[in-house]
Amino acid sequence: MKSNDNYTQMDENKFEKSISELEKSHDLVCLFCAQQGKRFVLYYIFEKGKQLLMMTKHLTGTTATSIAAQFPSACWYEREIRDGFGIEFDGLQDRRPLLLHEPYPDGFHPLLKSFKNQKIHTKKDVIDSYPFMPITGEGIYHIPVGPVHAGIIEPGHFRFSVIGETIFNLEIRVFYKHRGIEKLAEGKQPRECIAIAEAISGDESVANAVAFCMAMEKISEITVSARAMGLRTILLELERIYSHLGDLAGMIIDVAYPVGASAFFILREDIFQLNELLTDSRFMRGMMDIGGLKRDIEQDKLRQAGEFLTTFVQRFKKAVEAVQVPSVIDRLDNTGIVKRELVRPLHLTGPIARAAGVAIDTRRDHPYGDYSKVPIRLGEKGDVLSRFEVKTAEISDAVAIIRQVIASLPLAERRAVLPIKDGDACSLVEAARGQTMHWVSIKKGVIDRYKVRTASFCNWRAIEHAVLGNIVPDFPLINKSMNLSYAGTDL
Amino acid sequence: MIALLNILVAVLISPLFMTFIKKVKAWAQRRQGPPLLQGYYTFMKLLKKETVLSTNSSWIMRWAAPINLAVMIIAALFIPIVGIGGSGNILLFLYLLALAKFFMALAGLDAGSTFGGMGSSREMTISAVIEPVTVIVFAALAYVLGTMDIHRMALAVLANGPQAALVLISMSLFIILIVETARVPVDNPETHLELTMVHEAMILEQSGKNLAFMELAHAIKQTLLMGLLMSVLFPYGLATETTLVALVFGIGAFIVKGLCISFFVGLFESSMAKSRLFLLPNLFMLAYFFSFLTILFEVFA
Repeated sequence: MKSNDNYTQMDENKFEKSISELEKSHDLVCLFCAQQGKRFVLYYIFEKGKQLLMMTKHLTGTTATSIAAQFPSACWYEREIRDGFGIEFDGLQDRRPLLLHEPYPDGFHPLLKSFKNQKIHTKKDVIDSYPFMPITGEGIYHIPVGPVHAGIIEPGHFRFSVIGETIFNLEIRVFYKHRGIEKLAEGKQPRECIAIAEAISGDESVANAVAFCMAMEKISEITVSARAMGLRTILLELERIYSHLGDLAGMIIDVAYPVGASAFFILREDIFQLNELLTDSRFMRGMMDIGGLKRDIEQDKLRQAGEFLTTFVQRFKKAVEAVQVPSVIDRLDNTGIVKRELVRPLHLTGPIARAAGVAIDTRRDHPYGDYSKVPIRLGEKGDVLSRFEVKTAEISDAVAIIRQVIASLPLAERRAVLPIKDGDACSLVEAARGQTMHWVSIKKGVIDRYKVRTASFCNWRAIEHAVLGNIVPDFPLINKSMNLSYAGTDL
Repeated sequence: MIALLNILVAVLISPLFMTFIKKVKAWAQRRQGPPLLQGYYTFMKLLKKETVLSTNSSWIMRWAAPINLAVMIIAALFIPIVGIGGSGNILLFLYLLALAKFFMALAGLDAGSTFGGMGSSREMTISAVIEPVTVIVFAALAYVLGTMDIHRMALAVLANGPQAALVLISMSLFIILIVETARVPVDNPETHLELTMVHEAMILEQSGKNLAFMELAHAIKQTLLMGLLMSVLFPYGLATETTLVALVFGIGAFIVKGLCISFFVGLFESSMAKSRLFLLPNLFMLAYFFSFLTILFEVFA
């Protein structure tokens, strides 16, 4: 099968040696599996600065060698593949199921081609049988929180081991939202799948739709017009603005300063209304298409958007100044530190990594869209305050990017219509939360395998480290400062 | 007569002050906020709801709410709300509040949920620090006004007029009001985040009538502490005799004064974020400082 990326095949004999060499220089972007006939292929995608290294490994049976010892972020990938395909990894320490919760029957692997969405018989009386890491000792007690929460938030289980108020250990369990998106996409026409990509995570609709379209365009060798590229950039950055505004408001709400947060909420609502003006959808859905956009945006509306953003900058600046209150800053400062050393092993991306002082940004490292220059905002400490400041700066940058794109946007076709070819390709997009990877494989004009890895999948692990040594009442704030997507993690 | 009226007004008016503070906070956030009578609607709604009790819980869970309400009603005898009538030892008042808190914390532990235990543990930690402060504040008050009886204190202020020392003590009393009613920066009454709660976590397992009683008791406690603050800072308007005019004027004056304090509490809460749990003693120290200063002034002046 034709591939649009260059893959190096890995040999079983040299596998361990090449992995330990890669460990020093490369980050693991993603590890996933695809079934080709009766055989399984593992795809390893590594990143070194601006270069991607893609490797495949053809398995002879249903066992593979684990790389979790060299790349800690591989642990979840391998557990995911284990659940999805039933492949066992030699050397994998953590063999608990990841996305298949206790009631699923044994030997059930939904991503196998032989599984055709049939009825399954779930196990009874297996609630609470998941083995959490046992933490015992004098004075240690456990606080289990969730998966059902008090607010309107997504489900996730948090198990705190606490001494007094200080968090000694935190184990998270997400994957309560499995919708079977990857399976759902199989056999679909690529154009049908855009709506599926938009549904991966509500507030990352544009990023996921763009990433999917980019992968399809790579496969079919379609060149997107400069206008469509510019408009995509505008929508991507609008998504970043409203997402970050929600985070800023959330952080301020969580330290109980709603007076400061309300200004951010109002600005966010205004951005939603601008989205609706431009795309008829507050979450900018139904706009992306393979080869460009489904609809053009009129010049007049773009002019209005430009005018709105001019006043927005001033209002945003005022809102940020209004929360520079000592009691607020004291809560954010030094809380929930993500250490710089964690960024590479866990492949943390997005504002979390940048706030920890690591200069990574997919917009710059793997260019796409219409970004002439992306300023990278770095924090120092990696605490909640750094994340607050990085996100604040990124909102201003996003506004500047949008205004620049509007000013130089050419008139051109909104969409290039070309036939869809077979093949596979990988695409990377910087969503508001960080790097998003999509990998699509097309066979006979329909999707054969669709793999998505949003930033949250990797970034979730950061929280287990960031909370250590903090006190329990600060956890919601740390959680909000990262604003991880549960749906984006659990497809 | 006045004593009974004090209780009646304290019970009836408390939900209004509660809601009014919410309203002020909403205004500060450019929201509309709840209707002014929301506190009463919620109370009536909760009375109709079923009381759910955990199978792990004991009689404490069943009785904590009625005990709390009863204790607050008794404590209302101690504070001049509408008028001065009766007697009320300030230390006894303090320990009546402590008794209510004791049962509330027990109830938090009783249901066996982690959040309840967490709330009780935090509440007791905070109490352990604020209690000596409160004793010092009350001691300063008793020293300045020359009596342990809250009603006589109000009379003394009425007779002698305002003093600088009383303003200092009022600041301490205000901090006690904030701490005891679980407001920002000590606690966040608006939050849904169980992990950050103090007071709310303790009553998380309460439901139906018991929750209604708990919330009413909490509202009365707030009214009483406001009443105490007013008796010291601005007792004018309190009825000193049992005539219809004096009593009606007393009720009116109390509502106006209470709304003023509620307004100020709302603004105060809106003006800052919640403090880190372990930095709370700094706030308590402030109250301690004001009262200690008062005692020094009074002794050496």
